[in-house]
Amino acid sequence: MEAYTKPLPIPDIDSQPFWDRCKAHELAAQCCHDCGKFRWPPQAFCPHCYSWKFDWTKLEETGTVCSFVVVHYVSIPAFQDDVPYVVAHITLDGTDNRVTMISNVIECPWQEVKVGMPVRVVFEDVTPEVTLPKFRPAGRME
Amino acid sequence: MPEQPIKDKTAIVGIGWTAFSRKSGVTTLTLAAEASLKAIADAGLQVQDIDGVVSFYHRQPEGQMVRELVRALGLKKCNFEFYSDGGGGWNCGAVLSGAMLVHSGICKNVLVFKARNRYSEGRAARAERANDVKGDAQFTTPFGIHHAAASFGPIATAHMARYGTTTLDFAHLAVTERSHAALNQKAMMRKPITIEDHQNSRWIIYPFRLLDCCQESDGGVALVITSAERARDLKHAPVYIMSGMGGQGQTAGLWETNGANSAPLLYEGAGITPRDVSIAEIYDPFTFMCMTHIEDFGLVKKGEIGGWVTAGHNRLDGDLPVNTHGGLMSEAHIHGLNHVIEAVQQLRPEGVVDDLCDGPHTYDRSKCRQVRNPEVALVCGECGESAMLLRRA
Repeated sequence: MEAYTKPLPIPDIDSQPFWDRCKAHELAAQCCHDCGKFRWPPQAFCPHCYSWKFDWTKLEETGTVCSFVVVHYVSIPAFQDDVPYVVAHITLDGTDNRVTMISNVIECPWQEVKVGMPVRVVFEDVTPEVTLPKFRPAGRME
Repeated sequence: MPEQPIKDKTAIVGIGWTAFSRKSGVTTLTLAAEASLKAIADAGLQVQDIDGVVSFYHRQPEGQMVRELVRALGLKKCNFEFYSDGGGGWNCGAVLSGAMLVHSGICKNVLVFKARNRYSEGRAARAERANDVKGDAQFTTPFGIHHAAASFGPIATAHMARYGTTTLDFAHLAVTERSHAALNQKAMMRKPITIEDHQNSRWIIYPFRLLDCCQESDGGVALVITSAERARDLKHAPVYIMSGMGGQGQTAGLWETNGANSAPLLYEGAGITPRDVSIAEIYDPFTFMCMTHIEDFGLVKKGEIGGWVTAGHNRLDGDLPVNTHGGLMSEAHIHGLNHVIEAVQQLRPEGVVDDLCDGPHTYDRSKCRQVRNPEVALVCGECGESAMLLRRA
């Protein structure tokens, strides 16, 4: 297998559990222990009620594309072989619209990506240490 | 909300700029000093009259830093230096910081500048974005977001899905801005373009084609702010700062920017309404960003910007001329501080000095880019994260 040359995330103390769970092929976000609301990106306290108590909660594996771009021009050479590729804002189901992640929509021609499209997570083990959660159209290959 | 106590208490009294290019061949310190010395002279002040210096940057210090300029100018006494993050959102924030320093009495005459070799030095550094993988960037860079078009493109795609805005609408804005730049001697891109040129230009990051994207530039601009009282004795008629804001909040959705939060602060702070705005110098890193800002500041009803720019209401003789200098798209990318310079030029009694008119302004649009008698200008930064209203004396 060729060495992975693209940038890898550097987790911090707030985000480490998210990346650990990705490695275990589980999508999760913090949910406030007091008000029960989800939040994204990870942070130590609730932006709704300012409680410091939270749980990492497993999310549904599906979501909706709420917007996207298609990258044809790259600044970082390691992405050159991927163009055109889709980067989307994906709102995860069951989070009351409070968890919208940015990720790639894969296994789909870029011309067919639409706002409102349902997608499902795919875990890509890009290195032995790092797994990136990506998304493909829901309903395909199921 | 009451009017802001700072209303009309400070004014922009001097402006200066260097040539804009893709290779300045000089340091950012030289660019900053050239623009600053011109602005100070334009105000009719001496260098040692400056006792406050302000600039701004994006994420990491880039372009010329404040302290080196204070040292290079040999200022004997600087009462306040302010160099803040905020990037393209902060063009008006920097100006307002200067106005607040004057209004507070901490400083008498504040220099605000931006100087950068963003083309000649910045492009080579682009690949370094690969190292930007901490904090919020850990959730974007690994997925291939390394370009402003990828960061802001989703706002456009969401607007298109919600309101039916098209990339053909974007083309009209690009063509109009270029036509303004054609009448601007300092603009980097002056060759006219057509709708077809836009539609045939290559995709950079969908929904943005090459001609939806602003350029990158080497260059510097500077301006001087003083109190309304002192302004009356200086060389040029003052351009008063009516109201402003700088900061960000949450919006209703991706299709809307922080301009929607800023607008009430701005208009109520100045005691006017969007109808009173004569010209708008709007942050335009991409065609669509300019368009959504126009809507979010209440100048056009939300969702109707496509038809509005297609009808040409943003032209020099339109209902509301926008980016009369050509904007970041066609004049230069001096982080939007060049938009403030243009607003000041348009609001001075003598009007712009660098169009193609030989003598007095003729309003002949083959030569003249001066708008007819503008009274109030709105200027804003990226996503409306700072904005201000200016008025002529």
